[in-house]
Amino acid sequence: MRNLIAFLQRFRIFLVFAILQILALSWYVTYLSFPRNQFLTTNNNIAIKVLEWEHDLTKHFNLSKNNTDLQWENVYWRKRQPQFMYQLSRGKVKINDTIYEQQYAYIPAEVINSSVNRRNNYFTLNVGSAQGIKRGMGVFCQQGVVGIIHYVSQHYSLVKTVLTKDINIDVSIHMKKTDLPGLLKWDGRDPRYGMITGINNDLRIKKWSKVETRGGSGIFPKGLPVGKVSFTEPIEGQALWKVEIRFSADYRRLQRVYIIKNLHLAEQTALEDRIPEDDE
Amino acid sequence: MNIAYKHIIRFVIFAFLQALVFNQLNIGFGIQLMIQPLYIMLLPFELTVIPLMGIAFLLGLVIDVFSNTYGLNTSALVLMAYLRPIVFKLYGPREGYDPLKEPTAHDMGISWFGLVYGILLSLHTFWFFLLEIFEIGRFGFILQKTILSGGLSFLLAILIQSFILNSKQKK
Repeated sequence: MRNLIAFLQRFRIFLVFAILQILALSWYVTYLSFPRNQFLTTNNNIAIKVLEWEHDLTKHFNLSKNNTDLQWENVYWRKRQPQFMYQLSRGKVKINDTIYEQQYAYIPAEVINSSVNRRNNYFTLNVGSAQGIKRGMGVFCQQGVVGIIHYVSQHYSLVKTVLTKDINIDVSIHMKKTDLPGLLKWDGRDPRYGMITGINNDLRIKKWSKVETRGGSGIFPKGLPVGKVSFTEPIEGQALWKVEIRFSADYRRLQRVYIIKNLHLAEQTALEDRIPEDDE
Repeated sequence: MNIAYKHIIRFVIFAFLQALVFNQLNIGFGIQLMIQPLYIMLLPFELTVIPLMGIAFLLGLVIDVFSNTYGLNTSALVLMAYLRPIVFKLYGPREGYDPLKEPTAHDMGISWFGLVYGILLSLHTFWFFLLEIFEIGRFGFILQKTILSGGLSFLLAILIQSFILNSKQKK
């Protein structure tokens, strides 16, 4: 016992160091996959207030560019409004609402805090569970996909963006004859470029072919823009392409985003839970 | 001004500068400016290593909460605080440090400060990016980020030092 105490006293400094390191690293490892306590994220009351003050100041920096983008989006949708179109054959146009049913609801939000130069980048949004946000919902902006909701508090939420290590959104490369499915990843180098893995190299990929979401997991609808293929290279020893894409959205000055609520998600997951598990 | 108050005020200023200004700056090439190691460096000589690590842990916690890095800054700062007395001993004068002096470039000379802070900052930055990237086979990328971010953070630290130095001369 005395030996033990003597040992502890000798290594007291290193012991304190080791305990503090274990605390910090366990915090890091657990929060990357699932944040448990909102106090240790930006979603706590003090940090969010300070960041809101800061955002109130800095949100005007990109204002004109953001306004132009919104105006273009308005023009885009206005062109598609039936009441603004010239009716060619009178009395024949009839929108039958029983054919189409709304599957996705959209909630607008503003990015309060963001970073793009870390390995794992998270955005803080000013909407939370009070607005019906849940973990796992998709987030996109006008130009492209942004990420997936990682953590929700009452009035704020945290987005795990496509600029993280293990985001794995299922996307497909849009080509003339077929679509090539793959997984979207980010290598941490440049916030303008991403990567797609799992593309077989039996087909030649044209440069600047479009990359869109596949809509398989029910998080994103099919056909949201992600980016364009900017570079392909065969991986040595594997029958795969290394595909680099240029994101269509500029995440460095992102301000307005939309959150997607899939109204059919519960139905889809309930159905897919019935798939019998392989127990071989 | 009492020395404890001075360091508490400095703690708040450094934490907020890092969280609200330097975290939001986007230079490109994956560069992150870090001024929080400078705070650990400027703490007085006679502070022993355990309270030093406690202060580093607190500062890291505050910065991590503001930047969603979940313990990365905390881990790197605690490592730096643990190594600070060792590096100080290695490059200190033979008769020990003068307790009236502070570990600044003004009191100890720019060459001493550059050497000691350079070593501590590069260890801190390397540890930070090693944990953040944590992939085998990307060692070159870790080194690139360490050198770019560390170099710019070092220049920034010298700049901040010159501000502190100027304000002292005016008095």
